[in-house]
Amino acid sequence: MRTDPNIADPDAFYEAWVAAHGGLSDAESAALDARLVLLLANQVGDLQVLLDCIAAARRAAD
Amino acid sequence: MTTAEAWKFAPAYELPTWPHVRAPDLDARERIRYPVVIAGGGLSGLTLACDLLLRGVAVVLLDEDDTVGVRGASSRGICYAQKSLEIFARLGIYEKIRAKGITWSVGRTFSGADEVYSFDLEDDRRSEQPPFINLQQFYLEWYLVNRIRELDEGAIRWKTSVVRVEHGSAGAIVHVETPLGTYALEADWFVDATGANSRIREELGIEAHVSRHTDRWCITDVRFEKPLQVERWTWIDAPFNEGRGVWQHLMADAVWRLDYQMDEHADPESISKPEIAGERLRAQLGPGVEFEFVWIGPYQYRDHLLDTFRVGRTIFVGDAAHVVCPFGARGGNNGIQDAGNLGWKLALVAAGEAGESLVDSYHAERHAAAVENLRVTSRTARFLAPRSAAEHRLRRAVVALARTHPFARKLANTGRMAQANDYPPSRWAPAGARSLQNVALGATTVMDLLADGTRFAGLWIGGSDAEVASLADLAQRLPFVAHAVAADGALASHLRAAPGTLVLVRPDAYIAATIAEPSRDRVEAALRCALALDDDDR
Repeated sequence: MRTDPNIADPDAFYEAWVAAHGGLSDAESAALDARLVLLLANQVGDLQVLLDCIAAARRAAD
Repeated sequence: MTTAEAWKFAPAYELPTWPHVRAPDLDARERIRYPVVIAGGGLSGLTLACDLLLRGVAVVLLDEDDTVGVRGASSRGICYAQKSLEIFARLGIYEKIRAKGITWSVGRTFSGADEVYSFDLEDDRRSEQPPFINLQQFYLEWYLVNRIRELDEGAIRWKTSVVRVEHGSAGAIVHVETPLGTYALEADWFVDATGANSRIREELGIEAHVSRHTDRWCITDVRFEKPLQVERWTWIDAPFNEGRGVWQHLMADAVWRLDYQMDEHADPESISKPEIAGERLRAQLGPGVEFEFVWIGPYQYRDHLLDTFRVGRTIFVGDAAHVVCPFGARGGNNGIQDAGNLGWKLALVAAGEAGESLVDSYHAERHAAAVENLRVTSRTARFLAPRSAAEHRLRRAVVALARTHPFARKLANTGRMAQANDYPPSRWAPAGARSLQNVALGATTVMDLLADGTRFAGLWIGGSDAEVASLADLAQRLPFVAHAVAADGALASHLRAAPGTLVLVRPDAYIAATIAEPSRDRVEAALRCALALDDDDR
């Protein structure tokens, strides 16, 4: 799992991510992020990396 | 029972005032014509006036007040960026700014008690000037006024209000009101530097595309003894401010600027009461720290951007042309840099050494810079003020991952600090233009090479005396001077230019062209392009 900066333009990405949630209800937003996770997971492909990401996300829970 | 604290205020600053002097225009038989008339004595107007005087252009600056600083709820900028400081070095006031102000380069961003990310702008510094100096805006304006008065005591006309402007294709007629009567001036070029609420702009019917933000903040300038780091500290969500943002910065005279994000529905009058502001301070500083208020000011921010910064012979600079959210010090610095971009162009056009269309490159370059600044600051504003539960969730995810994962730190955004904007390719700079830092060259500096203000510098990397001399006759015909630069020195490495290359630097220290195999013809062609000498549409 990569944790060093790898997103080409972080501010542009964050802006687009926020914009995608515009006008959605909370439930719709959560569903959007779930679909987004699936699409991104398919870009990653490697199962071990995906399992590491799931574990890291779980560990960072507020 | 705790007893209420007694809140102390520091005595108000005593600002200088300058007298209104009877204008020669009042007694002239005919209207007097000036090469440049500027309306508005804020940062951009004063910088431009000083710049033009140093470049040998007679200029008149009209200011409706008789002092510096603000009346009412205007700008109180504090952070001055390297490019601005380099301009001030050329104008001759940098040493005063450095001596009075607070030099800093490190910024830290916190969430709760945890540091989320930090930066040190010193890492990219090649300039003689530091990344940032903090100084109350009125000091800077004061130094500029004194410098202008040294150059031309009558250049600033105090207590002189613009009441009407006739905008023509060959210039403007500016009608003014003064304590001693009304008169009109003629101007080859008229510059509106009257700020965000420019009436000149409104009377021309120019759409400013204003957008108001609901995010609300309250500045508290305060003096106290507690020793804190001389760094820019920001909290995304401060435990001592009900989980909202806080900014902490030091200015001159040991005054701290603490800026608190408020509930967007908060009443501005009540949040700025000393007892309420004092409680916020007490929560941040802890018990037992004595403090006195210097100023408390609630504000909401707005942005606007004109479609064009030039209408005929009228040019808009600074807040009259563009306003962005205050994050990253992209307000005042860009007014100063508007002036730095425009001054040499007006001076060369006025002297007949450049084509008039060079003035259009001011719009092309500074409008592009304003678009970029608006985009960058809007992203910061959005990060700092999520608009829905979903946006809050995204931000919490960033902050949670940032504690352990470097990549997520890049997504946290409490401001991207102002840098000299790159300019896009244009007919005056086919490869675009980027700023050159004020690198030292032995006993001299880049700014020293550009000190006369109206000549381009041709830096021949590893050039011989004979090669530099081969361009001497070009220097007779065009505003240009060539210099040999050591191929192994700091400047060559900052320029990232190969030995044998000639880098053509404009009077505003932007690189106009990089010429791989310099010859007199190639350098001349690049100069004529950058001076708009062949596309003149007069």
